[in-house]
Amino acid sequence: MNLEMIRKTLVHGSGDFPDSSAIAEATLSTWHQVAVRLGPVIGSRGVEALFNRSLHITSKSYPWLAVDESGENFAFQFPDLRARIALREPVDAEEASHTLLVNFTELLATLIGESLTMRLLEPVWVAPAPESEQEKAS
Amino acid sequence: MNNKVAIRRLASGVPGLDEILGGGLPEYSFNLIVGPPGSGKTTMAHQIMFALATRERPALFITVLGEPPLKMLRYQQQFSFFDVDKINDSIRFVNLSDDVSMGNFDQVLARITQEVEAFSPALVFVDSFRSVMLEAQNQPGSALSLQQFIQQLGIQLSGCQATTFLIGEYSSGSDPHPVLTVADGLLSLEQSVQRNSMVRRMQVLKMRGQATVPGMHTFRISNNGINIFSAAQVRDDTGDASELPASPRSNVRLSMGVPGLDEMLGGGLPSGYSMLVAGPSGSGKTILATAFLVEGVRLGEPGIIVAFEQTPSQSWIRTIDDMVRAGCIGLINTRSLDLSTDEIVQHLVQLIHEMKATRVVIDSLSGFELALAPNFREDFRESLFRMVAVLAGLGVTVLLTSELEDRYTDLRFSPYGSAFLTDAIIVQRYIEIGSRLKRVMAVVKVRGSTHSDEIRQFEIIDGEVIIGDPVLEYEGLLGGQPKQTTASDTVD
Repeated sequence: MNLEMIRKTLVHGSGDFPDSSAIAEATLSTWHQVAVRLGPVIGSRGVEALFNRSLHITSKSYPWLAVDESGENFAFQFPDLRARIALREPVDAEEASHTLLVNFTELLATLIGESLTMRLLEPVWVAPAPESEQEKAS
Repeated sequence: MNNKVAIRRLASGVPGLDEILGGGLPEYSFNLIVGPPGSGKTTMAHQIMFALATRERPALFITVLGEPPLKMLRYQQQFSFFDVDKINDSIRFVNLSDDVSMGNFDQVLARITQEVEAFSPALVFVDSFRSVMLEAQNQPGSALSLQQFIQQLGIQLSGCQATTFLIGEYSSGSDPHPVLTVADGLLSLEQSVQRNSMVRRMQVLKMRGQATVPGMHTFRISNNGINIFSAAQVRDDTGDASELPASPRSNVRLSMGVPGLDEMLGGGLPSGYSMLVAGPSGSGKTILATAFLVEGVRLGEPGIIVAFEQTPSQSWIRTIDDMVRAGCIGLINTRSLDLSTDEIVQHLVQLIHEMKATRVVIDSLSGFELALAPNFREDFRESLFRMVAVLAGLGVTVLLTSELEDRYTDLRFSPYGSAFLTDAIIVQRYIEIGSRLKRVMAVVKVRGSTHSDEIRQFEIIDGEVIIGDPVLEYEGLLGGQPKQTTASDTVD
């Protein structure tokens, strides 16, 4: 599975030489896109379950990502995630954000297959050609 | 008066379903697919959806509670009809579990309508309506009953020019729930387990405005999805005059491939006849049947063998295998224990058409009976009757073998009382002469033809049947203990 577009999407969203809060912002906006695309298909509960699992897996390499076992609602985890990413060094923040999305995509692919995963998430990722420059501004 | 509404019928994409429905799914109909868990409802819905959905005819699949959509997508992908490229292109999934868990069913209805209006689908699927209602019962505030929900949904969707399918668990009790009358079409799926076999069956309880085929139809779910074996095919083949060959019972006689046997039959087996070869284990029925097929191949008449025997003999394997590999003989070899007769017949008819076969061997009826699911064994005679009728309708010549326990107190030709079904009968037996077991064979019947009445000894040498002389000097052969007659007379 070609996961290069995940990094491209993040870089595209956060701009050149970003600070941590720009990375956090780009990560969040990508996650919102993922939720918008997947929610109708697998339900918001389904997205939530996959997100929590990927967070759990990713926090083994980036312990600071881990959430308290408070069972907080999905909707509240996003701002929390943004806050935690924004506190890290840019390199660390970018790697963790990238890894989290990669883990999520791979987890989804193990469940519903690569081709369907790509099919569903295709609109989220930045197209290979640099055509959506105006989106960058927003 | 040609202004009557013409209802277009959509090809469902489920093999066998269109025939049962009486020509396909009526466009803009409101259908229910019901059945217990695991009976194949979602699979059928997906199969129909993937077959019908195009960009011009998009489909909307609404999931409501029930199984998690992730699991559904994971497992449905295993079927060959699941086309990933259609998703988000001509097929859209919408999950409404959040709305349902909020407990507001007016809102669920509104959401469905909203999605339908936004996407303008030609096909709408809701999986499953029962889970909606179960949830409704847990919500004391909800005023909507199952009937109202489905009725309202039906009304709302009927105005949307969409063909709609509601999928629901519904135990097929004796009296159908009144809500089911709301639907234009009602497909009921079920599975029953008896001993070690599982049989899936479906029936069309209702399809407005169409002549459906009544009765339970067996189906199978394989990698390709659902395949229905319509019992209709049996009737069609025999009832439709165009299917019949010009003269199935011509004067042509087929050579049996055993020297001397054609003469015993009065010049060979009449074309289009069915023949029963009955005899005890090891008497040479299969070898006779093999010779029949081999002779056909030699004469350019392709044949098919339906083999139910668990351990075919060595000579059988060699002869048949070579010819199957060369494409001269079709082989249906089955060891499964959950077949329905309709399934076998459909497979056989298909192969007969493909190979333009004129000779068919079924080896043996005993194995056939064993291969059927227990549910169908009770109707074995009827099944045999239908199968023979279908094959006769196709004009093929059929040879059936039947294991017969050697009894010396009565003369029987088949354990199924099925001897009357066939046009010709050959019986084989063991007799004891001079402390040796010898084989004898006689032609008992060839309908509408003279035939030999001799009881002939025969031997099997190198996989070939060698018919010997008539056993003239003995009597009481069929009793198993022949007495010498002429020889002893002359001595005395």
